[in-house]
Amino acid sequence: MGIQLKNICFSYTPASDDPLVLKDIDLTIDNGEFLVLLGPSGCGKSTLLRLIAGFDPATAGSAKVDGSSIDGPGKDRGMVFQDLDSSLFQWLTVRQNVEFGLKVNRIQAGERKNRANDALRMVNLTDHDHKFPDALSGGMKQRVQIARMLAMRPNIMLMDEPFAALDAQTRQMLQRQLVSIWSEVKRTAIYVTHDIREAINLGQRIVLMTAGPEAGIKREYAVPLEYPREQSDQVYIDLLQTISKDIEEEVTKVWS
Amino acid sequence: MIRSTSIRTFLGGRIGRSFWISTVSISCGLVAWEIAARLWIDPFFLPPVSTVILGIFELIEKGILFGTIGISLYRILVGFLLGSIVAIPIGLIVGISITARAIFDPYVHFLRFIPALALTSLFLVWFGVGEVAKILQVMYATAFIVIVNTATGVVTTHENKILAAQTLGASPWQIFWFVTVPACIPSIYVGMRLALAGSFMVIVAVEMLAAESGLGYLIWTSKVYFKIDWMFVGIFFLGALGLLADYLWKMLGRYVIRRFVRESADY
Repeated sequence: MGIQLKNICFSYTPASDDPLVLKDIDLTIDNGEFLVLLGPSGCGKSTLLRLIAGFDPATAGSAKVDGSSIDGPGKDRGMVFQDLDSSLFQWLTVRQNVEFGLKVNRIQAGERKNRANDALRMVNLTDHDHKFPDALSGGMKQRVQIARMLAMRPNIMLMDEPFAALDAQTRQMLQRQLVSIWSEVKRTAIYVTHDIREAINLGQRIVLMTAGPEAGIKREYAVPLEYPREQSDQVYIDLLQTISKDIEEEVTKVWS
Repeated sequence: MIRSTSIRTFLGGRIGRSFWISTVSISCGLVAWEIAARLWIDPFFLPPVSTVILGIFELIEKGILFGTIGISLYRILVGFLLGSIVAIPIGLIVGISITARAIFDPYVHFLRFIPALALTSLFLVWFGVGEVAKILQVMYATAFIVIVNTATGVVTTHENKILAAQTLGASPWQIFWFVTVPACIPSIYVGMRLALAGSFMVIVAVEMLAAESGLGYLIWTSKVYFKIDWMFVGIFFLGALGLLADYLWKMLGRYVIRRFVRESADY
């Protein structure tokens, strides 16, 4: 089953003559797959993710999760936002942030504690659970967001450039951590990025989008490499070159 | 050493360098005032500090001072608190609902530009000379500042917080109580702090125009008896009470509701 997108079009102003943001997108994502949406900035990859999250409705086409149409956000689809601060509840401690979803869903205290402990362990924040978000580094804040999502055990984990605002070392470390979390929880992951290396480090499949407006899918790549992926691997290098060339083509299209 | 002289306040905060600098600054100000009043300025217009301090004792002796301060403080606090209690729910509703905004906004933005003082005579006619009219005017002055700040807090709550709560399965009511309300506490906190100064201003004016008690009344009547030193006592206590109230408000933000207001309480 998984996620099925058919002929998806999207516009923020459907009634006007403005060009569509997304046009005729067909995409199927299997349960348990790690898929990366890659594309030049402004192409609409975040918009596509928001459609799957249910934040914005598709202007045309059908978007289904396990056979039923997406109608607004749901706890089966967790989300990690790019921005470090805006989505965390800064008046709650790390643990309280992680337990937020469990609390509003009236999960019993014992179960709540176990699930929060589990989630905090997976992102290595157990020792920081009493801190408030403003006392954390950027990387830790993103791990809180991931833990908050994990605690809900969603079937689908949506991530919108979660590591884009972090330094290179932190980013690389978190990529590895994310892969090991994904292998442990075995849920679908959809990850948006504009960073080709990040895409190759993370995805089983990479979907490259064309430059907007009227963005669509340019090409798909399977990544036939074991985790953790080594940048020195010839397959890695070839893939990097191919994708770079394809992206450059898109960027040139915008600038010419 | 500055470090060794720092002491702990009753709320647990450290008083250090800034406290001593402020103390020295205040002392210099008072000494300068005393000297100026004795050497250059006619004491009728500017009585020296010592005369003002004697005025304080004189007012205590006559049994006037504490009652005067008490009644003004009572009017300010009751009006301020009731005004906020009315304003916060209105601000939240106006911030959340476009319909409520369309209903309330014309009134809010029309009325908030009418100074409370313009209503003194009207309130006197409507509610009489008692405390009700005065407290209502303080409420009036407080409420609009708090409404505007609260509603601003609601509309500036970041969309991502709401979206995150939705993906975590929170209902609209849960989002309101557990996300929107806590997220706009800093705005409410700042709004109430501004409104507090507003209520001081209003009560003094009201007491000058339509009361027979309170600090405003004391200042107003002092000129009739040429008691410029009493006038200064009244003015001094307004400043001192305001300073104290603001300090307590700041301490509330820093130590009691710190997790909600964060940097908003740093100044």
